[in-house]
Amino acid sequence: MSGKFEFLHPLPWTAAQTARDRGGKPLAWGLGAASKRAGVQFIIPKTGGRWFREEGPAEAGIRRYVDLLRIIAARTLQTRYRGSVLGVFWSLSNPLLMTAVYTLIFGAAFASYYDGSILRYVFATFVGLGVLQVFSGTTSQALTSIVANGALLNKVRLPYSIFPLSTVAANFFQFSVGTFPLLAIVTLIESRNPINLLALLIPVLGLVMVVTGFSLLTSSLYVYFRDAPFLYEMAVFVIWMTSPIFYPSALVPARVHPYLALNPIVSIVSSIRQIVLSRDWPDLHLMGASLLSGCACLLVGSLAFVFMKRDFMDML
Amino acid sequence: MSAIEVASGTLYRRTQQEMSYDLKRLILHSLTRRYKAPVRRRVLDSVDLVIERGEKVGIIGSNGSGKSTLLKVLGGILELTTGSVSIRGRIAPLIELGAGFDPDLSVEENVVYYGVLLGFTQSQMRERVARILEFAELTDRIHEPLKALSSGMTARLAFAIATDEHPDILLLDEVLSVGDQNFKGKSAARLNELWHEHCTILLVSHELTFLEAQCERIIWLQAGRIVADGHPADVIGRYKEASLGPRLVAPAPV
Repeated sequence: MSGKFEFLHPLPWTAAQTARDRGGKPLAWGLGAASKRAGVQFIIPKTGGRWFREEGPAEAGIRRYVDLLRIIAARTLQTRYRGSVLGVFWSLSNPLLMTAVYTLIFGAAFASYYDGSILRYVFATFVGLGVLQVFSGTTSQALTSIVANGALLNKVRLPYSIFPLSTVAANFFQFSVGTFPLLAIVTLIESRNPINLLALLIPVLGLVMVVTGFSLLTSSLYVYFRDAPFLYEMAVFVIWMTSPIFYPSALVPARVHPYLALNPIVSIVSSIRQIVLSRDWPDLHLMGASLLSGCACLLVGSLAFVFMKRDFMDML
Repeated sequence: MSAIEVASGTLYRRTQQEMSYDLKRLILHSLTRRYKAPVRRRVLDSVDLVIERGEKVGIIGSNGSGKSTLLKVLGGILELTTGSVSIRGRIAPLIELGAGFDPDLSVEENVVYYGVLLGFTQSQMRERVARILEFAELTDRIHEPLKALSSGMTARLAFAIATDEHPDILLLDEVLSVGDQNFKGKSAARLNELWHEHCTILLVSHELTFLEAQCERIIWLQAGRIVADGHPADVIGRYKEASLGPRLVAPAPV
């Protein structure tokens, strides 16, 4: 272990981080920009600084943030799946079962919209359900994440966003070992084009951004409004019904179509379906639309989060 | 060089009565123009404080006087509304021990988890598990879930983790009143050890005798203001006088 007052050296943050990697003292509580030569210090500016202040020890660098994200996400997965042999694969049981149910009920009726093939209806429904499930599952868990950790935030200095974001990380880890490999297999079977497999990553990135934006939004709304889950349930239901998951979008009247575009998930589901199921090249317009949808949600969610986080500690 | 500096630190916190956590009511009240902006209450009132490195400072005051709030500001948990705080060195916050433990994880996993929350890396914590558990006298319970431990043991564990890697500044909130007699002695010994290494210690407590013996400076807070700041015997004497005063002139017998 290095000398006790090592942190007092005039290290900028990167160098200080390296010192920590070498086994030096962790510099957990300093602020990057304001860290002066006198050593680690955080200076809280006069009012106004509250708005632009980086939060918590995320100030100490991305490395610490990633460390926290990993350990909290791992804990989430660990407590969720303790003692179950199937572990994260349980997450597949939900979309698989629901695909089966929808196919039993609607499969025969809607097959004509899917080239008369029930199998294609199964695939299309599974894609939609997989996307919707990761969306609604993650955001509803994220909703309570900051409030649930309110006691902790009152005692240890942590970035607030670590809680919704670790929920996103845990759920997308699950997605990447559960739903995504299935999507990849279906892509190879249906499109017979490895390029589509690569292209698949674009709408999935859009999905990550949409989910992150919504998670930031819902988690911070819940800090202020404890009736948010009730309203959120309704919102998810609207998103669920307006996404053409188990019905073909051709059923929706043409007049209503433009409004469906307001649903941030629709372009993502359409893009993933197009890439996975069609035998054409990936549709760039749909891919662009899903990225755009992701950016919009992420922007709105982050702005709402930054605006609301000022008073978090007074409400927790 | 000073370890902690607070310059005219004032903190307003929003009270929670108007909003009562309800979106439906907020919308209704805005529509009917009955919406009132949330009230903010001043919990710290232009606090000026300079603490030199190595000082051992006790903070006293009645409940709700802002002692814990001050520690939270120093620990970076709360932000001042106006004024500035500057901290030099690594802070170990022991504001209420055991926050951040997960009762379902094992003792070992909790040590790593809590350590990462406090700012260490996972690999650093894995190296230290054995030493920490030894100090906390919990080595034989390493694989048990944390919920199997008593609250005193949990407090011992938290104390051991937070003070294992000697911090530069230690914030303590009523820590010493947990643990059995044996551990009290042990934690006091470790605090002394830290003191001799020029660790700065801030201690909030109601155990005036302990503070008088252990601290070299006492700060008395009342309604968010510093009323007195100085020599232990002197400040504690005045504090006792002020709080016992009304009782001494108790109601006359009927």
